[in-house]
Amino acid sequence: MVKTTKKGIKPGDFIAISTKDEKIKGILMPGSDREKIILKLENGYNIGISRKKIKSIKRLKGHKKLEIFPSLKIKQNPKLPSVSIVATGGTISSKVDYETGAVKSLMQPGQIFSLAPEIVDIVKIRKIETPFMKLSENITPKDWQIIAKTAAKLLNEEDKGVIITHGTDTLHYTAAALSFMLKNLTKPVILTYAQRSTDRGSTDTALNLICSAYMATSNIAEVMLVGHGETSDTFCLANRGVKCRKMSSSRRDTFRPINEPPIARIWPNGKIEILNRAIKKSKEVKGKVIADTKFEEKVALIKSYPGANPDIINYYLKENYKGIVIEATGFGHVPTEGKNNWLPNIKKAIKSGMIICFAPQTIYGRLNPFVYSTGRELLETGVIYLEDMLPEVAYIKLGFVSAHFKKYKDIKDEMLTNYAGEITKRIQPDTFLY
Amino acid sequence: MIDYKKIGLKCGIEIHQQLNTHKLFCNCPSTLRTDRHDTVLKRRLRAVVGELGKIDIAASHEAKKAKNFIYEAYSGTNCEVELDQCPPLPINKEALDTVLEISLLLNAKPVDYIQVMRKTVIDGSCISGFQRTALIARTGSIKTSFGIVHIPTILLEEDAARKIKEDKDSITYRLDRLGIPEVEIATSPDIHSPEQAKEVAKYLGMVLRSTDKVSRGIGTIRQDVNLSISKGARVEIKGVQDLNSIPKVIEKEIQRQLSLIKQSKKIKEEVRKANPDNTTSFLRPLPGKARLYPETDLPLFKITERRLKTIKLPELIIDKAIKIEKKYKINAELARLLVKGKINFSKYIKKFPNIEPSFMAKTLVLTPKDIKRRYKLDSKKIKEKDFEFIFSALNDGKIPKSAIEEILVNICKDKKINLAKYKTISEKDLEREIEKIVKEKKGLTVSAYMGIIMKKYKGKIDGKKVIEILKKLI
Repeated sequence: MVKTTKKGIKPGDFIAISTKDEKIKGILMPGSDREKIILKLENGYNIGISRKKIKSIKRLKGHKKLEIFPSLKIKQNPKLPSVSIVATGGTISSKVDYETGAVKSLMQPGQIFSLAPEIVDIVKIRKIETPFMKLSENITPKDWQIIAKTAAKLLNEEDKGVIITHGTDTLHYTAAALSFMLKNLTKPVILTYAQRSTDRGSTDTALNLICSAYMATSNIAEVMLVGHGETSDTFCLANRGVKCRKMSSSRRDTFRPINEPPIARIWPNGKIEILNRAIKKSKEVKGKVIADTKFEEKVALIKSYPGANPDIINYYLKENYKGIVIEATGFGHVPTEGKNNWLPNIKKAIKSGMIICFAPQTIYGRLNPFVYSTGRELLETGVIYLEDMLPEVAYIKLGFVSAHFKKYKDIKDEMLTNYAGEITKRIQPDTFLY
Repeated sequence: MIDYKKIGLKCGIEIHQQLNTHKLFCNCPSTLRTDRHDTVLKRRLRAVVGELGKIDIAASHEAKKAKNFIYEAYSGTNCEVELDQCPPLPINKEALDTVLEISLLLNAKPVDYIQVMRKTVIDGSCISGFQRTALIARTGSIKTSFGIVHIPTILLEEDAARKIKEDKDSITYRLDRLGIPEVEIATSPDIHSPEQAKEVAKYLGMVLRSTDKVSRGIGTIRQDVNLSISKGARVEIKGVQDLNSIPKVIEKEIQRQLSLIKQSKKIKEEVRKANPDNTTSFLRPLPGKARLYPETDLPLFKITERRLKTIKLPELIIDKAIKIEKKYKINAELARLLVKGKINFSKYIKKFPNIEPSFMAKTLVLTPKDIKRRYKLDSKKIKEKDFEFIFSALNDGKIPKSAIEEILVNICKDKKINLAKYKTISEKDLEREIEKIVKEKKGLTVSAYMGIIMKKYKGKIDGKKVIEILKKLI
């Protein structure tokens, strides 16, 4: 909260504060408010001084420019394969100002090189597009559409691949959306991130960007999420966009593949080890990448849990929602007894044309409506059991499919057809808690 | 004799003391481990951008060639914070209150709002690439016999990881020490003689121990000395081992600089390390101003009047010692050792009124040290209950004073103590016995009689008593 005081003193100004005990000199820092002044002392430490104790503030000679962000003028190698970057925000695009501690979004071309100068030896960065800058909790379906269109445009120009930088909170949602919206994908689309802000020596950005650069020029024509494979700075994983999820609020290796092995392991020296053969290669796909961004926004994702009130379905029905994905417990169950019996409201919704899908709340494993009678009953009412599709992915797919199909049978068929590998045919035992 | 004023000696002391509480930004215990680790992390630190926003290409190439850092960790005592897997937890309030206590004892003013800062550290000893440090109090001072010494800053910060080994490609650190809270007390260069430096360090150490909230043992306190002389250069001397080394290290460093001045050689501003023989050796160049910027993962912390009111100031050890010295009329050193050893002396006085306080004090604090030194035994085996047992016997006249040392030695040797062995002979019986001996062997000297009697009653009688009786009889 940067406030200009009455005397026109601004952050960065050298000032002298007089209290009843002493005179303190320092630089006025942002963050001062009605209660306190934040001062940077000569020894570099910041302290807060209670306004109640201040008798006077005097402006001294001198001003320190704050919020200088690093930039690197680098000569690119035209012989290297070209990739473009779509920067959408998030920690990876943010910089902490060394003086103020303020976190700002940036992404001038020179600034990305300061994060990982090594990229200059791997790729030539042709364009950096910044359609918007958001912390990813604020990303909306409209933003997915913008990213998809931007990516498709760049891919259909001369780039070997596209790197999308994005916040981690909802990165896996965007990855899923792009997996559905980018049709006839001929080249790699890489999404990457930073968990540790880029002002620190310990930032995870560099390894993620370096490995992303290698994957963006590989021959794997998939939407992939690239980031630390383990907490050490050793290698990255490329996860299929529709089969991974943010699994820790803070770990570097937070994105884990679910129910299938990751597509590849990548080392900062460029070595790529393919771990999952169910991938499309660039040479198999001809033509242009098409951005099919139609999306039905009136779809919802809700969770079933003990005591959950089924009236929530009535709310969505009233609001004309086209479909709901329910994170169902176990093999795909919701309460079907007692005062919170969900069956009646589900039946009512399906009868009036709403699509109800179930996805596994357990994240791992596959739904199975046949094992228990509850499941069979729900299946009979018309609930679509989405096998092992991740709930977040299911919600996005439902929005996508509902924008393209209207009839229940067509929607059901499309939801159960693999568009981008979102349903795993074989779940290998070593994929649990990978 | 050097005229320190004439040579313009300016000296400052910096003390880093570990606090006896859990880690500063998480709930892990402040435990150092010697057993094998169960977790290993491999990390690299990136080149950090320069002050003016420009990145040094050379630095980025250095980053490519830079060493790998290997971190050893223990799942039982290290958490995601030490592994830099998550943001810090709020600052350890017990550590904060301890530093507030220390600040008030040093007449320093706590700040109104604490902002934890990140101090960039690129040698790998801080896994996140920075050390978290906060300024807690300012403008402190202490009175010394040579004048006032100012303490401009008192900091609370986390200790760094321990370097285990280094080779061509990597440096290995252990994360057990990372995050242990430390108080840093830094004086202004107001010290003008080696003796004053020792006095300041001694006083600061005593204040820290008076809180009873600091860790004890090797490596828990580090003493650094900064000094400069006119025509010389400012050096920082790291790791002066003990109090007595401080004046010696200063004297030797002054000699070194004076000698270089005499030879018209240039003296560099640098960081040196203190050697066991009190000389100093070059460690590294004086660092530039470290980058300090706010720790954005933590909010500002307000130090309220209410919090300050809850800080109870302890009695200083020197004041406690003076009280005991005066009350029980024992010498200052014994009083100091009693307080340092946290011995509840008044309890002993109350329980054993027949024993002279000085003797009891000596037995409690000096005799064990003596036994350790002379007999090379583990005097820590002597417990409070052992002292009570012996003093009880002495108080009741069951054993003589001279038996005490032998009994304590036997406790250290794990031997069973049979008090009957030391049973003194009563004064009446002793007189009768001595009379008998004098009658039997007439005409010997006092010392000769002493020899016979002491040999007969080895350790069971008080030599002074024997002389008293002999003098009476002869």
